[in-house]
Amino acid sequence: MGVVCVYFYPVPEGKSGQQVVDGIQKQIELLGAVKTGNFCVDCETFQAGSGIQNTPQRQVNILHSSEQPASCFAILDTGTCLVADALFDGLMQKLKHYYQQRKGSKIESKGQRYEYGDFIFKVGSVSQASNFKGILVEIEYCPCVVAGDCMNLMKEMSQSLLGSAVAEQQSSFLKTKTDMIYTPADTMSQYLEHFNNFKKATSVNQAMNR
Amino acid sequence: MAVSSVTVSVEPVLESKIQEVKLDGQEIYVPPLSMSENLTKLAHKIDFYKDESDEKGKPTSEGEKDEAEEKVLTSFEQPSWVWDSVRNKLKAAFTEMAVLTDVLNIIKEKRYMVADPVSQDQPDNKPSVLLLAKKRGLVSAGSVLISGAERLKRSHSEHSNRAQDDYFIELLKIRQNWRLKKVGASILGDLTYKTAGSRFFQGGTFEVTKIVDDKTDTSTSHSRGSLEVIIPSELEGVAYIQVEVKSVPEMMDLTSVTLKMPAGLGVIRSDAYWQNKLEVAQNVLFCKELFAQLAREAVQIKSSTPHIVVGNQIITNAFPGIQLSIVLCHYTGKEKKIPQAPQKLEHNHVLEHSLHQLLREVHFKNINYVAPHPVNAMLGMSKRRRLAGPQGTSRRELVEMNVRDTLLEQIIKQTKHAVLRLRTMHVLDELALCIQDPQITAHWSCLNSSLECCVRINITAYGYEVVRSSLVLIIEVDTIQAILKDSRTITLSFEDKALQDLILWQISQHHIQVVQQLAKFHAWTVVSTNFNVGVGDIDLYGTAASLMMASPKGDKVLAFRSGAYNKIQMYLKEIDPSEAVDTSPAVTNPKWQKIIGTFQAVDVEKLQGKTFSQKVDMVMAKLTSMS
Amino acid sequence: MENTFSVGLKNNIAPQQEYLLQGSIVDLHRDVLLHRLRGLCDNADKQPETFSDHEMVFVLRGATAQQNPVLFRVRRSLDPPDDPSWHIRYLGTSEIGDKNRHTLVRACFDVACSNNVVKFLNEMGFRSDHEYCVKGYFFHKGRMKVTVSKIYRMVQTGTPDGNTQEAMTQSSLVELSVVAPAGQEQIADDMKNFAEQLKPLVQLEKVDQKRLSVQ
Repeated sequence: MGVVCVYFYPVPEGKSGQQVVDGIQKQIELLGAVKTGNFCVDCETFQAGSGIQNTPQRQVNILHSSEQPASCFAILDTGTCLVADALFDGLMQKLKHYYQQRKGSKIESKGQRYEYGDFIFKVGSVSQASNFKGILVEIEYCPCVVAGDCMNLMKEMSQSLLGSAVAEQQSSFLKTKTDMIYTPADTMSQYLEHFNNFKKATSVNQAMNR
Repeated sequence: MAVSSVTVSVEPVLESKIQEVKLDGQEIYVPPLSMSENLTKLAHKIDFYKDESDEKGKPTSEGEKDEAEEKVLTSFEQPSWVWDSVRNKLKAAFTEMAVLTDVLNIIKEKRYMVADPVSQDQPDNKPSVLLLAKKRGLVSAGSVLISGAERLKRSHSEHSNRAQDDYFIELLKIRQNWRLKKVGASILGDLTYKTAGSRFFQGGTFEVTKIVDDKTDTSTSHSRGSLEVIIPSELEGVAYIQVEVKSVPEMMDLTSVTLKMPAGLGVIRSDAYWQNKLEVAQNVLFCKELFAQLAREAVQIKSSTPHIVVGNQIITNAFPGIQLSIVLCHYTGKEKKIPQAPQKLEHNHVLEHSLHQLLREVHFKNINYVAPHPVNAMLGMSKRRRLAGPQGTSRRELVEMNVRDTLLEQIIKQTKHAVLRLRTMHVLDELALCIQDPQITAHWSCLNSSLECCVRINITAYGYEVVRSSLVLIIEVDTIQAILKDSRTITLSFEDKALQDLILWQISQHHIQVVQQLAKFHAWTVVSTNFNVGVGDIDLYGTAASLMMASPKGDKVLAFRSGAYNKIQMYLKEIDPSEAVDTSPAVTNPKWQKIIGTFQAVDVEKLQGKTFSQKVDMVMAKLTSMS
Repeated sequence: MENTFSVGLKNNIAPQQEYLLQGSIVDLHRDVLLHRLRGLCDNADKQPETFSDHEMVFVLRGATAQQNPVLFRVRRSLDPPDDPSWHIRYLGTSEIGDKNRHTLVRACFDVACSNNVVKFLNEMGFRSDHEYCVKGYFFHKGRMKVTVSKIYRMVQTGTPDGNTQEAMTQSSLVELSVVAPAGQEQIADDMKNFAEQLKPLVQLEKVDQKRLSVQ
């Protein structure tokens, strides 16, 4: 498991999401990367329903990733992330009286996976209930395990591929983790951050459109 | 007058009856009856239905009565008190005892009565009579002992011959070695490896029976024992797995392989001891399971080289030109005796043993689960797999965890490695024999496995061992990794020529290194060395190496060039100081005189010295002038 | 994309149900039982495996009293002392069923997780109810698990140390369990046959937990 950076690639005006995805994929293939299949990262949200004793309202996000098929990630809105077996979904079902799944909250990022030497690229189009939301590009550098050590390399790679505007974004989450060993849970937290941004953007748009 | 008085002692009979005399002479007495027991015994003796007076016809105090009347009376009426007769008898006895006591007391007083001993006759002291009496006594004692011993001997021999006891002892022994179960009236046992982890479908149930011995002579019955095991028919006979590795002409088609029937082995006797029979049957089952597993894998697994399964043989090519054949030889003794010349069986015992070990490993993994900590975790998974979820193991790692080599693949790998190792040894030995000049020594590492081993090759010149070239060869399944002195790694294929080329190349480089060292000894200056010469003819393998050195005075220059397949070439340039060339005044330093001159080839063969380094040493010594 | 759990449910390979038989044996005779189990189960030639676990029970109660509280059990192994593996266990209500079913069947989820479970559950709203330690021996035959264990009460919460535990009873709990996907009834028969062989030493039977629970 290496260090992963997830970038949000804005769709420019006038182009469709598919066109942009194809463009990025073409660029990656030009680099010389090899396509190795599909990937999918999805997220479901559960909300504490009719109130639990002595606890404020909480949200639990359950994420799955095709890259870690045996695991299930549960992230609370306080930031605690639990990494568990795939059977954890069954446990969540047992809690359905307390934590109900929010309808239409399932959001996922699907796309192609490329391998290029020590790098792995994943270009995903994000959709929620078959509505296209945006594009997330994930770059993984496998040999490194400490985020702080390879930030510069990552920036260079993303600059060449996605442009300097995109490369400059840095997850607020990663800033706190520069000296610790990077785990898959951190990747999922990054994805969750982006998914939440997408959801907020939609609700803002809806509010504006009304 | 009596010589010896006879003492009279009056004492109750206190001796208890002897219940049993043990074999060592100890006597066990019947414990004396307690009071209540005694009373009970006596009471039992009383016959309450018969009146005492009836039998004896004693005149009773009632007077004379009609006997018939009495009889009638007594037959109808019960005696007035049950213990009456008992009491009367006791009273009579008491009276008599009292009288006796009185008499004895009176005798004691010696006033009114005196007890006189009765005179007795002198006993005859005839010794012959005594002797006769003693002899008779001894004879009778002896006969008693002899009869006892006779009886013991008879019972002992009966014991050893008795089939009944023998059968149980044998049954105990068989139960200590094999699992037995009583089903209905018969005793069945289990031959299979199921409890050791085997999942083979074939069952191996044997039955244990008693031998009903009709009177055969004792020698045969002793060797058989009294227990018989009946083995299921499919496990009869003797079986073994034969693995053979042989080289076949390369372009031979796999389908036209020669099948041969193995020569028969001796079959086990039907009256052999049960342990041997059971062991042989279990071996047959094991070989069958092994072969069934290999055959199944050979048919199902898709691999780059095809495998052929024909009857009881599996044939595959390990390398092109090397064929591996695994044969299940099962001789049941029922086949027709084909008169064939006894063929020499080519067994590769190491691989056969490996096959057995591999199957046992499969069995072991089936049964030995890693203990789950905490105890509720899933049974059957390794710890790494259990932690795959929490640790976020990637898909690639999960796939790697699950991939496991089949039995056939494992044995093919081992075969390949064995063949490669033998080939390498062969090549090294041949080279060491052919090439005498630098000596090639090989040190094989004693730490090796069935899939990998390591050898270090040293090239030294005789007499000049200070310079040593060495390289390490790691022999793997398909390839050989060679690690040179400067840490370069070269991967060689399984062809022997590749290895030969490599070693010859290293030898050529070694020559140059020896000369370099010699230059130091003779204080010659090395003008240039090059291990990758880019000029001259291209060598067949690798690169040529060259060396140029000048004598201390600078007037002699020697140049060498050596390649893997070329003989080493030596050139000499001698500068004669008398050959003064016209020098222009621009040339001020006399050293510039030394660069003129042409090189002349030197025939290395004709030089004096056994090895190349000796020859060069000699040449350098001759050419070095001190003046 | 379907995740691993739903695929497992569809193909009926996700282990969801636990078949259970329980019994107990007095400590004096426990060694006889261990000897017998060693002979009956797999790997008779090896020493029986020991285990030592620490279990904490967390309860999630609703604001109103009508909702049934949910119990999650967090279990970790104490055996490799610096490397515990954490599990979350959920046990559903047990169905005694009819006479034909020989064992207790209950829904059981056993999920391995990372070691910040306690913090996670506390933030979700679970509160710690009680905790205890279990130590004993473990045997297996095929996929049946047999455990002979003693339960210890923690005198000091938090640190499961050897000195701060005291045994709760003078006897050991014997459990025979199989965790399997739903609907495999022949497991119950196999378990009953196995339990028969332990008969005079320990009676393994299905214990009605509803009658035992104290509300």
